[in-house]
Amino acid sequence: MESRRKRRRSQLYKWGLYFLLLLACTVVQTLPGFLLIGQAKPVLLLPLALAVAVWEDEFSGALFGAVCGLMWDYAAGRTAGLLALTVMGLSFAVSVAGQLYLKLNTFNFALLAGGAVWLVLSGDFLFYYAMPGYSDMLGRYLAYIPLTVLMSGALAALLYRAAGWISQTFKIDNGVL
Amino acid sequence: MKEFFETWKFRILIAVAVFLAGLLLYAAANGRLTAAPQELLSVAAAPFQKAAAWVAGGVSSVWDKYTSIDDTIAENEALREENAELRRQLVEYDQLKAENEAFRNLAGIQEDHPEMSFVSAFVIGRDGMDAFGGFTLDQGTAHGVERGDTVIDDEGHLLGTVIEAGLTSCRVLTILHPSFNAAGVVSRTWDNGILTGDAAYAPEGQCVFTDLSRESMASVGDEIITTGLGGVYPPDILVGRIVSIEPEASGTSVVAVIQPDADVFGVKQAFIITDY
Repeated sequence: MESRRKRRRSQLYKWGLYFLLLLACTVVQTLPGFLLIGQAKPVLLLPLALAVAVWEDEFSGALFGAVCGLMWDYAAGRTAGLLALTVMGLSFAVSVAGQLYLKLNTFNFALLAGGAVWLVLSGDFLFYYAMPGYSDMLGRYLAYIPLTVLMSGALAALLYRAAGWISQTFKIDNGVL
Repeated sequence: MKEFFETWKFRILIAVAVFLAGLLLYAAANGRLTAAPQELLSVAAAPFQKAAAWVAGGVSSVWDKYTSIDDTIAENEALREENAELRRQLVEYDQLKAENEAFRNLAGIQEDHPEMSFVSAFVIGRDGMDAFGGFTLDQGTAHGVERGDTVIDDEGHLLGTVIEAGLTSCRVLTILHPSFNAAGVVSRTWDNGILTGDAAYAPEGQCVFTDLSRESMASVGDEIITTGLGGVYPPDILVGRIVSIEPEASGTSVVAVIQPDADVFGVKQAFIITDY
């Protein structure tokens, strides 16, 4: 059983590390030319939000998801709140599904994150590319989304491990075995 | 789980969702991309993005030099430490060189356009979601940048316009984006038209010059410049060269495909025209 002060400090370190991970993911996701294959570039902020949601509870996960989404809105030049709402909803859903229905491991999580990235990118493509009626829609979709989903899924495994390590290292010991 | 929906935590989540929806509506209604909470996040992220962009540039530069002296390092253990120190100095040197080059280019552009005020900026972020090469620069309202400012490359060629300015960074809408519109003219024939982006040509880094008269004498190789009409973009900014001329769908005018002189997808450094 830990003292209240120790628990608070431990929680502070944990969320501080999550926030640093969020900044690192933003930097890597937007670094010009880094991990760029053709038009595809991995998305890291969504898998990070999902990883934290899986390792923490649905409440903290959803709030962290909203922050990740706001950061993604800024990085991608999307209207404030659009991706924030989406990532928040997905984080909540994945956390709940993880607790009730799914048996998550690194590989399953990579698949889940890849699916979520595919869903969000396809929605974004629909609103920002298909609906305005830009030409060569299929070309852009095929050149950008499948490879981006693959790369994001692969890197999601690393984020899952990193978030898991942070969560376990700073886990609150409440004395219950 | 069922009890969760009756707790204060769930009510907080609903409140956050309503707040975000309000933020979204506010931003959309005011034609803006960002809002206060996001600007705070951008202020936190911009220095890290800036540092990472520098390191990425420095590492590639060091790597080129490292490969050429690799044999020497293997032969002489004593030189290894000295080389490590040299490599560190080379990164600093490359950074100083880039800065020096930037200011020299600025001086050149300033000579051509003495009436303009510029802010030098580096590209610190690009997101794959933007199919039209939009990017983030490391200068914001704290440096005098405002929404609507024109962005050019280090040789004075048009890159785009500032679509959103945060405190320490700004977002650029490039000339490849279909939402970009600027009045332009063919420098040889003085035929007017509208410079804009087209999704069909954007992947090749090209844009289009529309509403060009069918009687126009413009031909492949002609240079396009801005006219300054409308007061949004300064006049006489170089844009690019015509690579082909195609009939417009309605047949009333022709469209010239432009190869911009600026490298929109690869640009690392830019200048923002804050006054002209």
